[in-house]
Amino acid sequence: MLSTLVLLFILAPFSALVFMTDWRHFHFVVGDLHAARVSFLYSTVAVAVVVALGTPLAWWLAHRRSRWWLDALVLMPLLTPPLALGILLASFYGPYSSLGMQLSHLGLQLSNSVPAFILAQIYGAIPYFVLAARAAFEAVPKELEDISRSLGRNAWHTFWRVSLPLARLGLAAGIALAWVRAMGEFGIVLIVAYFPQGIPVKLWVNLQDIGLEAVYPLLWFFFLVAIPVPLFLGLYSRRRAFG
Amino acid sequence: MVDIHYRLTQPIALEISLRVEGFTVLLGLSGAGKSSLLRAIAGLLPAQGEPYEGLPAHRRRVGYLPQGYALFPHLRAWENVAYPLPRRGARRRAMELLERVGLSALAQRYPAELSGGQKQRVALARAMARGPEILLLDEPTSALDVPTRDEILAELLREVRDFAVPVLAVSHDPQLCWYADRVAVLAAGRIAQEGPAQEVMETPNSAEVGRFFGYVEIGRGRIATDADDSGAVEVLVETLRLRARPAVAGLGLGSPARLGCRPAQLRLAGPEPTPPGYQRLDLTVHAAHREGSYWRLDSTTPVDLPLRIPRSLWGENPGTHLLVEMASRDVLLWPF
Repeated sequence: MLSTLVLLFILAPFSALVFMTDWRHFHFVVGDLHAARVSFLYSTVAVAVVVALGTPLAWWLAHRRSRWWLDALVLMPLLTPPLALGILLASFYGPYSSLGMQLSHLGLQLSNSVPAFILAQIYGAIPYFVLAARAAFEAVPKELEDISRSLGRNAWHTFWRVSLPLARLGLAAGIALAWVRAMGEFGIVLIVAYFPQGIPVKLWVNLQDIGLEAVYPLLWFFFLVAIPVPLFLGLYSRRRAFG
Repeated sequence: MVDIHYRLTQPIALEISLRVEGFTVLLGLSGAGKSSLLRAIAGLLPAQGEPYEGLPAHRRRVGYLPQGYALFPHLRAWENVAYPLPRRGARRRAMELLERVGLSALAQRYPAELSGGQKQRVALARAMARGPEILLLDEPTSALDVPTRDEILAELLREVRDFAVPVLAVSHDPQLCWYADRVAVLAAGRIAQEGPAQEVMETPNSAEVGRFFGYVEIGRGRIATDADDSGAVEVLVETLRLRARPAVAGLGLGSPARLGCRPAQLRLAGPEPTPPGYQRLDLTVHAAHREGSYWRLDSTTPVDLPLRIPRSLWGENPGTHLLVEMASRDVLLWPF
């Protein structure tokens, strides 16, 4: 009963989306589809980078004994307000920082550019993925990793054949979380990469320039694009868990 | 045959030397460090020792079966067995190994779909796929149901012998020793006794070891005669003279000794004369308590025998005297 109420509480604001949308005049404004393409494409790249970088880190964290201070380091980007994190990123990678200057000499501009957009999404998403993936790796019985080694397989093989498949449920959850965070990232992106505009920034622009009626169609589209990935991952991992 | 010398400091201090030949059982109480020793030999715990000194776990040719067998839950039975094999021909070889342990029909099943005994045999086939020089079994009887345990164990050991690899099984279950070629007993971080199974079980060299095989200490005395032709001596317990067998060398005339026996080997004396090699003991019973359909003796003199007497013999109240017979060779003498 209580859980039903909590569920209703969580979902209640979304009813506004149904009632407030002007279905008779449902249309996108200029740039909406471009924003959707930007969000979808670069979130995919960002999540791929997050998984590639975050998986080894999560595995390493899961196999260390004392790591409270490491946990705190991983949590830093989560604890930092997104706008502040955006400012820190701009200060560190931006065109006026020494790193930013050197990178721009190499042709990599980390401000208002596609790489900057992806960088912002990575910072927004990676802590969530690492936390979920670490928990997933911790849940793999150490005995199975040990037995793999006693069966003549090295750490690399053990990782691919034992740890990774057994952690898949949690990793899928981590990927879903990272995807949702990357797609929805607003604060960091606003500072570091206002352009190219993804859906969250475009929602803000539409609200400012046109008004509420320009927000709902894009929001519908956002859910349409963003939801299937976590949904699919959830169903996939559940099916595999019992398969 | 493999000679093992291992020294551990963590998680428990151990210094172990023992010979593994045929099916060898290392017996010890829970927490004595038996599993740690196996993990150390497999390279999964830091330790010094031979064989395999300095080699990482994946380079040690050991077959390790932990408690619960640690089958990979996401792989089918045959995939588990194929795990250590080179990819080429892995499936065919895995099926051959499953055939040898009589499980080829269940090759497609996941571990969750197998019984305890079947899991154990899949784990055995997987360990053998590694081509080990020694097989390490951690508490092989612990995960088996009691009614089918002996049957499954006998089958497992038949298969193990069939593979002709020396086996070191650690256990707290003395029953496993009945199947063993050699037995070693671990106590206080070292091997308290080691030898052919029959010898260790029949002649434990201390009360600590004897406890595993049903021996209890029943009193203390002093050796009163030299050994006769059968090796038996007389021992003086207060005013009582008993015939007993020294379990270790060096227990000479006048030596203080502990007496031990297996209460299960005693029998109540009847009206017929005492058979040769046996002796009679008139016990005074000071305390007893009810234990199911038995009376359990808590305190008797001149020796303290924790016997269980059927209530059909004594009825509702325990008796005060009991005449028992025991073979001289069944009473052991251990040094203080």
